[in-house]
Amino acid sequence: MSFGSTTITGNVRPKLTKEELAFVKQELTEQLERYNKIVQEQEALTPQREKWVKEFLHRIQTRGYHVHAGMKRVIPKEEIRPRDGRPLQVIF
Amino acid sequence: MARPHIEPFVDRDVGFKKLTLPGFRKGIQYKMLSMDKETGACTMTVQYDAGFKQPPGFANSEMEIFLQEGHLMIGDKRCEKGTYIFAPAGTSLPAMSTDEGCLALVFYNFGPPSFTESDEDHDKADKTQKRTMVDSYFGMDWQVPTLFPQTAPGCLLKILHLDPKTFAMTFLYCMTPGFWQDNISYHDVAEEAYHIWGTSWMMQFGDLPTGGYFYRPAYINHGCFRSDLGILAIGRTDGDLHNYFHHDPFSSPEENHHRAAAKLARMKPALYQWILTNEHNHLPHDFEFPDDTYDTSGYDSGIHMHEDGSSHSHKSAGAHSHLNQKKKAKK
Repeated sequence: MSFGSTTITGNVRPKLTKEELAFVKQELTEQLERYNKIVQEQEALTPQREKWVKEFLHRIQTRGYHVHAGMKRVIPKEEIRPRDGRPLQVIF
Repeated sequence: MARPHIEPFVDRDVGFKKLTLPGFRKGIQYKMLSMDKETGACTMTVQYDAGFKQPPGFANSEMEIFLQEGHLMIGDKRCEKGTYIFAPAGTSLPAMSTDEGCLALVFYNFGPPSFTESDEDHDKADKTQKRTMVDSYFGMDWQVPTLFPQTAPGCLLKILHLDPKTFAMTFLYCMTPGFWQDNISYHDVAEEAYHIWGTSWMMQFGDLPTGGYFYRPAYINHGCFRSDLGILAIGRTDGDLHNYFHHDPFSSPEENHHRAAAKLARMKPALYQWILTNEHNHLPHDFEFPDDTYDTSGYDSGIHMHEDGSSHSHKSAGAHSHLNQKKKAKK
């Protein structure tokens, strides 16, 4: 999946050079490190995130939920789907 | 082809590296924001050092540049901050230089960074699209998004580039001070964004400040949203952006994917039925673009979730998880 046009599905020179391959390999190694760091940071945010979720669920049952643009609807309690032990995973 | 879920990443937290790939001139430093694992397509923050000069030339990949700070001479045109350039693959850009240096975001859409000196286009250059250059700050007006459902009041857009076939787009967006949107969103498409200025907050990821970036594969929950002082950001999608709003903070990408398909079945039953039951089950064909093919077997949404909560991307089609399958197997 790439951004942009579908009319060209790759480079005008599809085969990468030795230098480009080494560059990509190095950057992907560093990207994996960044990803792992993000996972750790986001894991550490879990207790705070749980509070934010509680506040959100309270607000949409009192102040309202944005349905479209400025149109809001107060969500009745019975429309809140039970958590049933589901994880609050945010990084995939 | 896919990039992993990078969210959030703040480029101010890391240093620049010199770009030393063959072809490029001295004086380019970069911070990698995200890279496609298969093609090397990437998004980078780039600093062109004071005195940088580059002759006319082209990239092998489609390329976009957004100038954040400073100015850049492109040919005899002085480009100020807010300038956006779209260059189809293989099309030659005029000579570039900067006396004082400048900061840009650079997107290579189909491969790693590349530069070949030439004052002519590559003979395989993409002639279906035109090179464009716009002054996004002073040459365009903010627009209220025309999506349905639409973001909450106070989120405005400037469309910088729209692919006529896929509706993939590059856009500036802003949130006005005090912006608040109380719902959770996901899309059928990948989305990436970079904060040029300002801080916004999302329920999943916390604050995203100036220099904050994300690349988010399809069907991943994000929101609710808030910005106390407002933001200015540049965003991109790789297809048509539809807002799927809901209020279940715990739904998985797989569930979101299913929900999107259910919505398609409800809202476009004739199309849905055709996709499911067309007798030959062949790929669609567009008489306006008869040479295009729609084989999506290589499509990878980038997410794959396991019962233990771990996830990774892989080459088979679509976002999915084994959560339900394993539960069913136990019964």
